[in-house]
This record gives sequence, structure tokens and C-alpha cells, in this order.
Amino acid sequence: MHIEKFSYDNRIVRNFAFATVIWSIVGMLIGLWVALLMVFPELNIGGIPVGKETIGLSFGRLRPLHTNAVIFAFVGNGIFMGYYYSIQRLLKARMASDLLGKIHFWGWQLIIVAAAITIPLGMSTGKEYAELEWPIDIAITLVWVVFGLNMFMTILKRRERHLYVAIWFYIATFVTIAVLHIVNSIELPISPFKSYSWYAGVQDALVQWWYGHNAVAFFLTTPYLGLMYYFMPKAANRPVYSYRLSIIHFWALIFLYIWAGPHHLLYTALPNWAQSLGVVFSFMLIFPSWGGMINGLLTLRGAWDKVREDVILKFMVVAVTAYGMSTFEGPMLSLKNVNAIAHFTDWIIAHVHVGGLGWNGMLTFGILYWLIPRIYKTDLHSKKLANAHFWIATLGILFYAVPLYWAGFKQSLMWKEFTDAGNLKYPFLETVTQMRPFYALRAFGGTLYFAGALLMMYNLAATVKKAKGVVDDDAEAPALESSYQAHGTEHWHRPIERKPFPFLVLTLIVILIGGALELIPTFLVKSNIPTISSVKPYTPLELHGRDIYVREGCYTCHSQMVRPFRSETARYGEYSKAGEFVYDHPFQWGSKRSGPDLAREGTGNNKKSNSWHYNHFDNPQALSTGSIMPAYSFMLEHELDTSTTVAKIKAMQTLGVPYEDGYAAKANADLMQQENLIVDNLKQDGIQTAPNKEIIALIAYMQRMGVDIEKFKTTKN
Amino acid sequence: MFKFIKQYAEKIEGIAIYPLISQLIFVAFFVLVIVYVSKMKKTKIDEMKNMPLDQ
Repeated sequence: MHIEKFSYDNRIVRNFAFATVIWSIVGMLIGLWVALLMVFPELNIGGIPVGKETIGLSFGRLRPLHTNAVIFAFVGNGIFMGYYYSIQRLLKARMASDLLGKIHFWGWQLIIVAAAITIPLGMSTGKEYAELEWPIDIAITLVWVVFGLNMFMTILKRRERHLYVAIWFYIATFVTIAVLHIVNSIELPISPFKSYSWYAGVQDALVQWWYGHNAVAFFLTTPYLGLMYYFMPKAANRPVYSYRLSIIHFWALIFLYIWAGPHHLLYTALPNWAQSLGVVFSFMLIFPSWGGMINGLLTLRGAWDKVREDVILKFMVVAVTAYGMSTFEGPMLSLKNVNAIAHFTDWIIAHVHVGGLGWNGMLTFGILYWLIPRIYKTDLHSKKLANAHFWIATLGILFYAVPLYWAGFKQSLMWKEFTDAGNLKYPFLETVTQMRPFYALRAFGGTLYFAGALLMMYNLAATVKKAKGVVDDDAEAPALESSYQAHGTEHWHRPIERKPFPFLVLTLIVILIGGALELIPTFLVKSNIPTISSVKPYTPLELHGRDIYVREGCYTCHSQMVRPFRSETARYGEYSKAGEFVYDHPFQWGSKRSGPDLAREGTGNNKKSNSWHYNHFDNPQALSTGSIMPAYSFMLEHELDTSTTVAKIKAMQTLGVPYEDGYAAKANADLMQQENLIVDNLKQDGIQTAPNKEIIALIAYMQRMGVDIEKFKTTKN
Repeated sequence: MFKFIKQYAEKIEGIAIYPLISQLIFVAFFVLVIVYVSKMKKTKIDEMKNMPLDQ
């Protein structure tokens, strides 16, 4: 048998490891800052004009920067770090192309930098965790293809016949993220940095949360499970507890996860059957998830004494435990009765951070402490510091999560409480002001966790400094025989395990079943979205106002979805119907209520005067004492860019919004007329302003919300 | 396009079939995986699970 000599590329692993550490600090710092903005709203910095654009460091713009940074920059680089280290060794082959690896690395970092520039500039699609605009979406697709190409080329030249379960998770990640990203990013560009989602309203919501939940599943979970199945046995120096269980874990998990998205839309205007599907599959997810957790923890059977000594195992045990906790909590939260309490509250923020800080964070830290000394052929600079990091981070998670669980319950109960006379007990503002101590505690927890990450950065930097530099590992293995002789009879699954392409196709089929059965009926079934005759397209000014709403990330704090609960209809008005959103590209239902719902802002008890909105955007705290809303004073001065009106109307027509033929040419005249009406009205309240300001467009949009359904009720009566 | 499907899918009445179909597909698939896993040979399993350590 011919033994081949080769080496493992450790430089690509080092590059991704450094990027992981650097972006973890950046992502957490922004997270900490937005946590502080919820305690000290005066720290929000509104838009600073840069030509026609504005740079904003307010909550609505920074929160997407935080989520994108921790998901795609920190965890993304963490995935690639562990992936490049493990896949070469599991396949007994160097990566097929060093060049593709470099393109992957630098391409990914450039995308992150582009995100860090465009999001504060307000260039956002308005869809959570998919805010990046279309040129960056295309770049992501290309870099993702490079990553996949290199992976499959390496698999093809491997020296190990069978693919270990970690590689299955990597393949599933590659194929599913590709599908999710492409389907959710279909958008119509109107300029280099502005596009409209191809889908509208209910359909946009379903596609977005099919994507959104599976970003959790296939970006934050499956690749990390792959890492767990490789690095935990390595760190504990014993094989995974049950390989059988890992196979069941894999197939059941990827099959079920893809259905779970609609649990983000319970009690919304999404058709009921789709909600029920989401609930059933989300609940069933508990079984494979816990199977995986048990498999991870039992890998340490007989080695628990090591956990006391070995800080890397400590990180991994907390990570897997946090995985177990959040995957128990997730199915519970998807039950309708629990969801009715938790949705839109800080409970959800606590839930995702148990997953993010606990599972992704702690596993990444464990892998970094294990991996850096190995590729640098040295010992960790300080085990004491690593231990300190472990305890600070664990405490940080507790200080982060516990106050927010409390806050979530309290918020929800306050929203729903009625007096004996049958009136709502708390005005919305009070449910915000009472959250402040909890937000402060959460920021303290975040500070602890961040401090731990700083310790790690120092510790790893000192480790690298004392080493001579990263070196590739030499290895040798026999070449793979070109023809494979099966030993005895084989079961159907065996060939798939050694043939990557049929495996990829099977994975693709499995994930497409769920996606297709959920999405296709929603697009085809007419009665899913009953038409409401009084729902009309937005006026050009309102459309501009809506785009400002999207740009500022208002959806990060305000929902536009009144659920059919007495507590919500009493507070906001008529519950939301699917037919109201048919012209909403993108939908803006939101996922969190740090501020009140706005779906009925222009009608009923919620309606405020134009001057109220004008003053409120200028200085929210002056009108609502204790409000944590950022001030948007710059909009009083910043001019509305009406040069895009024609392109916007034409784009909407392409997407099927029924503006009359040739309306684009007349749109700006209508826009000015509506501006003047608002300006005249403001004048009556003693406010002098020129009409062509952004604030006027935003006011027009605020006053439009909920008006159509009100008209419908009036005509019906 | 897809008219032959569309005319059925446009009516909501039959929609209950979707959760049913999906459940059936999942159960069938799950059973298949269980059968496969239970039939795996112990030697093969040991070989597979030691792959990360065997470097």
C-alpha cells in the first residue's frame, strides 16, 4: 500500500481563529452598547448627514449591526475556523485549494466590513438577520460557493473512505444556508443600495421566518454540532458516546428544523394551518436536540473528573448544557399558550442569548483555547486566566438571562392586566419604564461576558507571541483505492456515507420537503390572503416615510401586528388581517415590543396630531417621560430625497402594486401636495417647517397606519 | 404553469392534508433511519466513532 505524505493547512485555521476573536470583541461591544442605549436613551446618536445619506448610531441601526456581527462575523468565522481544522484531518487531506481558502477568508471579511459600513448608513432591507442590501447578498452567495467548492473538492481527494458525522453537518449547513439565503434575498433593486423584497406581507413574513429560524438552525446550530462532534471527543480524548444516536440526531434534526419557522408568527395574520405546522414540528424538535445534547454530555462519561481540571472541557460542558436548555425552551415557546405570553417580550431576548452566549460563545471559546496552542505548537499562556474567563463568562450569562426572563414575564403580565372596571391597568409607557432596572442588570451581565472575552484575547495573544509562528502539520496516509469493495452485504445508507454528492442531494431533498410544503400553499392558495377592498397602495409620500421607517430599523422595537387578544384589541384596536399587508414590501411585523405596536397608529384612540409626532420625533422624552426611544431631530432638517420617487413607484408596479399606468411621472406632484397639507396643519399648531423634510414623510406614514381597515369597517357599517 | 396543481391548491378546504402528509413523510423517514442505525455493525460503529481520535 502506497503511503502518501502531505500537510494540513494551519494558516487558514489561524486566519479564521484571529478573525473569530476580533469580531467577537466587536460584535459584543456593539451588543453592550445597544444594551446601554435601552438604559440611557440619550446616548443614541441620530443621523449625521453624509451627502444624501445619514450615518446613525441609534438603537434601530445598531441592533442589526450587533446581530449581523455576532451571527455572521463572530460565529461565522468560528464555524470556518473549526471546519478547516477538522475537515482536513477527518478526510486525511489538505484543503483542495489554498487559493480558494484565501478567497473565502478575505471575501468573508470584506462582506463583514461592508456590513459594518452600510448598516449604520441605514442601507437595510428591513428583514431581520438579512438586513444586508442586494450587492452584499450577491457577494455572500459567491463566497459561499467558493467555500462549498473547496469543501467538495477536498472531499473528492480525501484519503478516508467514510465521512464522519461532523462532515454531514457541514454539508447540510452548506446546502441549506445556500437555499435559505437565495430564497429570502430575492429582491428588486432600485439603486445600488436600496431594494424591495420580492414578497409582500404574509408571504414575506413566512419566507423571512422560514429563513430567520433556519439561520438559527443551520448557521448557529448544525455547524456547531459538527464542531461538537469533532472537538469534544478531541478535548476529552474519547470517542463520542453513541455514533448511532448521532446519525438519528442528524437526520431528525435537519428534517424537523426546516418546518419550524412559523412559530415566530403565532397569533399573527399567517394562515392557521401554517401556524399549526410550525408548532407541531417545533415541539418535535426537542427529541433530536436533546438526543444531541445527551450524546455530547455522555461523551464525557468516565471523564467527569477531567472536567474539574480541564478548563476547555468546562467551556464545552456549559456550551452543551446551554444547548440543552435553549432547545428545551424553544419547543416550549412554540406552544401557542406559552408564546402568547413570551412573544414580543424580553423573554425571547433571554432565550436567544442562552443559545448565543452559552452554546455558540462557550463552545467557540473552548475550541479556541484547544486549537491555538496546537497550531502554534506551544502551551496556553495562562490556564488561570482561562479559568477566570470561564467563571466570568458563566456569571455573565446568568446576569444577562435571569433579569430578562423576569422582565419578559413582568412586561407580558403588565400588558395583559385589566382593572376591575375592565380597563387596561397600565399605559404602555409604564411597562417600559419599569423595565429599566432589568435592562441595567442585563447590561452588567453583558459587561462581565465582554470582560471575559477581553481576557481571552489577551491570553491567546500572549500564547501566540511566545510561539515561533504557525506551522502546517505533516501527515501521512495511504491513498484511497480507486475501486471500493464492500465487505459483505451493505445497508442502503453506507454508500451514501462515502458518496458526498448523493448525500448532498438527499440532504437537499430532506430540507426542501419542509420548505416546499410550507411555502408553496401560502403562495398559491388565494383564500389564504383575503383581499380587503379598502386596502390601497401607499401614497408616494407614505412610501418614502415607510422607507425611512425601514432605514431607521423601527421594526427592532415596534411591531405592526395586533394579535387577536382582548388585551391587544383594547390597547391598539382591531386585530391585524392578512389582507392589510398585500402592498408591504417588505413586511414590518417586527419581533419585539420595546415600544408599542404601531399597526393602528393612525386610527382610533392611538391617533395623534401631526404636531405631536413632529415634537415626539424631535424629543420623545419631552412628550413621554421615561421613554427610551431615540430622538430623530435630524429628520427635521434632513431633506427628503425625491429623486428616487419614480424608481420606487415603478418598482412597486413591477412587484404588482396597482398604481395606475404612468403614475410614476405624476407621483412627485402628489407627494408635494400631501407634504403641503401636513405642513399647513403643523402651522396651525405653531410649527414652521419647509415641506421637503424627512420628518414630513415619516409623519405621513404614521398617520396612514391602520386607516384602510378603519375605512373598511365604516363602509361595512 | 402548474395549473393542474394550482386549481386544487387554490381551495383551502383540502389544506388539512399538508400536516398529515408531512407527518407521514417524517415518520417514514424516521423509521428508515432507526432501522438503518439498528442494523449497523458494532465494528463499523467503533471505526466511525474513533475517526476524530485516529489521526
